Amino acid sequence: MKDNKDKPLERIWNGIYVENPVFCLILGMCPTLATTTSATNAIGMGLSTTAILVASNLMISLLKGIIPNRMRIPSYIVIIASFVTIVEFLMEGFFPSVYASLGIYIPLIVVNCIIMGRAEAYAGKKGPVESVFDGLGMGIGFTLALLLIGSVREIVGAGTWFGAKITPAIYEPVNLFILAPGAFLVMAFFVAIMNKLKIGAARRTDWDPTENGCADCSSCAKLGFCGGKPAAAEEEVKA
Amino acid sequence: MNIMLLALSAALINNVVLSQFLGICAFLGVSKKSKSAIGMGFAVTFVLTLASLVCGIIYHFLLVPFGLQYLKTIAFILIVAALVQFVEMFLKKFVKSLYDALGIYLPLITTNCAVLGVALINVQKDYSIFTGTVYGFFTAVGFLVAITILSYIREKMEFNNVPKAFQGFPIVMITAALMSIAFFGFSSF
Amino acid sequence: MDTVYNVSPSPHVRDNVTTQKIMGAVALALLPASAAGVILYGVHALLVLIVSIASAVLSEYVFEKITNRPVTIYDLSAVVTGLLIGLNMPPEVPVFIPVLGSIFGIIVVKQLFGGIGQNFMNPALGARCFLIISFSSQMTDFAAKGGIMGASAVDAVSSATPLATLKTGAAFPLGDLFLGTTLGTIGETSAFALLIGAVFLLWIKVIDLRIPLSYIGTFFVLVLVTALIRGYEAPLYYTVCEIFAGGLMLGAWFMATDYASSPMTANGQLIYGVCLGVLTFLFRMVSKSNEGVSYAIIFMNCLTPMIEQFTRPLAFGIKREKEAKHE
Repeated sequence: MKDNKDKPLERIWNGIYVENPVFCLILGMCPTLATTTSATNAIGMGLSTTAILVASNLMISLLKGIIPNRMRIPSYIVIIASFVTIVEFLMEGFFPSVYASLGIYIPLIVVNCIIMGRAEAYAGKKGPVESVFDGLGMGIGFTLALLLIGSVREIVGAGTWFGAKITPAIYEPVNLFILAPGAFLVMAFFVAIMNKLKIGAARRTDWDPTENGCADCSSCAKLGFCGGKPAAAEEEVKA
Repeated sequence: MNIMLLALSAALINNVVLSQFLGICAFLGVSKKSKSAIGMGFAVTFVLTLASLVCGIIYHFLLVPFGLQYLKTIAFILIVAALVQFVEMFLKKFVKSLYDALGIYLPLITTNCAVLGVALINVQKDYSIFTGTVYGFFTAVGFLVAITILSYIREKMEFNNVPKAFQGFPIVMITAALMSIAFFGFSSF
Repeated sequence: MDTVYNVSPSPHVRDNVTTQKIMGAVALALLPASAAGVILYGVHALLVLIVSIASAVLSEYVFEKITNRPVTIYDLSAVVTGLLIGLNMPPEVPVFIPVLGSIFGIIVVKQLFGGIGQNFMNPALGARCFLIISFSSQMTDFAAKGGIMGASAVDAVSSATPLATLKTGAAFPLGDLFLGTTLGTIGETSAFALLIGAVFLLWIKVIDLRIPLSYIGTFFVLVLVTALIRGYEAPLYYTVCEIFAGGLMLGAWFMATDYASSPMTANGQLIYGVCLGVLTFLFRMVSKSNEGVSYAIIFMNCLTPMIEQFTRPLAFGIKREKEAKHE
């Protein structure tokens, strides 16, 4: 990677737009679909993930010299899981209502591909300052994406935003949007719009999963429609 | 009778993928061909059941007696990762046919949120080791059902004339949305 | 040498059946039920039907214009979808609901998948279930204000649908169920009107008996057995009531037989029909809800590709080999 790509502001912009984890990388689908039932939940999830991302990126970057290469993945897992546990308890203590509505999705941040992916792709190779800002950028990008989806679902599906009614009385909320099918629908339309406008994942034709920390393509949601090498990996999966 | 209801609920009513959004990545990624989908479904069933059992045992016999419940997230994810490794080695050596059949799907299951998710739900709902394992098994059956159905639909859709912006990821999401609506019927049981 | 031969690829023997003719026939077959609905429930029902059809056709037109595709509204499939959506609406439903339903059914369930024939789910039922989930109270309010039923309505007290009564094990007057003088959606109540249309479609061979018979037959057997086991009084009468009540007639003859979303193979259709019977039975008599036809059909729609694969006929001359040997 070129040097100026590691500058703090560059990292932040990267996470928000260039490589937005939800719309460009299509990672972390589980929490994206599950926790966007309202704008509040979306922000709660986004910010917790950001906190963990920054913390684990920092820690991994600091410890990368000490961790032997073979023990890499298990150590990352332990580090990430520890921070998740910490954040879990902090949320339970300070934001109990958000904690209650997010449920098991908070501990599930451990298996969020974004965190492991960034650890592998970035924090494991770069210095602590860049890693912190990379985590911040990805986290903010994730949070913004979640907020966008959550807002649409909440406004259309319940007529409220952050719990406050903002639609006119004549508007009848379409309940489906805050339920499971609505999540799939909203996600589909957002990605379709991005494809149409040629932003997001549709722009990228140079995506190399191995370079970006994905363990391999087969468990990835984008398998078969990613612009980069994974199309070849699909042949492996088929066999 | 209660177990039956639990099983039905786990598999169909609160379907792990279409209602709880666990295992979405594998669901979307491996459902292009029915053979891969069914293979993945069986692999997940195998690992999920085993993981529910082992995590349940560790939780009840190790974490709870020592008051270490807060370590469950760390413990469970390490167990799952280790379990998958172990199962892979074991199968490769002793049941080669099954190993070949499951193939590459085994290692992918570590990051499948359904596995960790179910282990955590078992704790959250205070299931006994037996109940938790049964719940895990039927949850995985739900995953198998969902991914199989989706793969056959996707195979049929392969030559459809989908609008360009929706090709690939979006139309699969829409298919999942429609499947999710179809599974809603079961919520009245 | 100056004889001009027609050089073209096969087929050379053509039928004059077109999509338009088939769809037109279906629409015609639904006319008795539509008329019955309007007579029974009044002018608002007519409005709902017109609005549903109009929104469906308009959605298809607008979508195809925006995506630069050939405009297909003249094949009348959007008209049929719109009509079916309208017939599945409660008589006094606020008009925006069928509009939304038609837009969803045509665009999301049908057009996004590639248009006619390429959808895997029945658009009208996909729309109906979308609406049931989204607007549950409006979609289950069957009070009638116009037409025959509106005039004779005693009050909210008697606004229980036949299915609600049947759920308790009590029977319902069969004559009312057959003619349609009960509460329900616009098109489903008059079994008589629906059967006229069904016979017409069977006569001109647009639909086949396989799916409806296996569906209704399986359902009949399961309900009868259950009624006997549960000790309902007059189990046979009860079973016949269940057949004419709710959306079973409309579903079995007009929705389950939709070409795109039901299996193509003969055996597949039988399996499909039987499963539909089982599911509808389970939803109606085992689960907590009253109706089961819509969800049963759309669930089986999801299974159709799988059923087709498993009932694929062999090409002539090929021996069936174990597919596991092929990779």
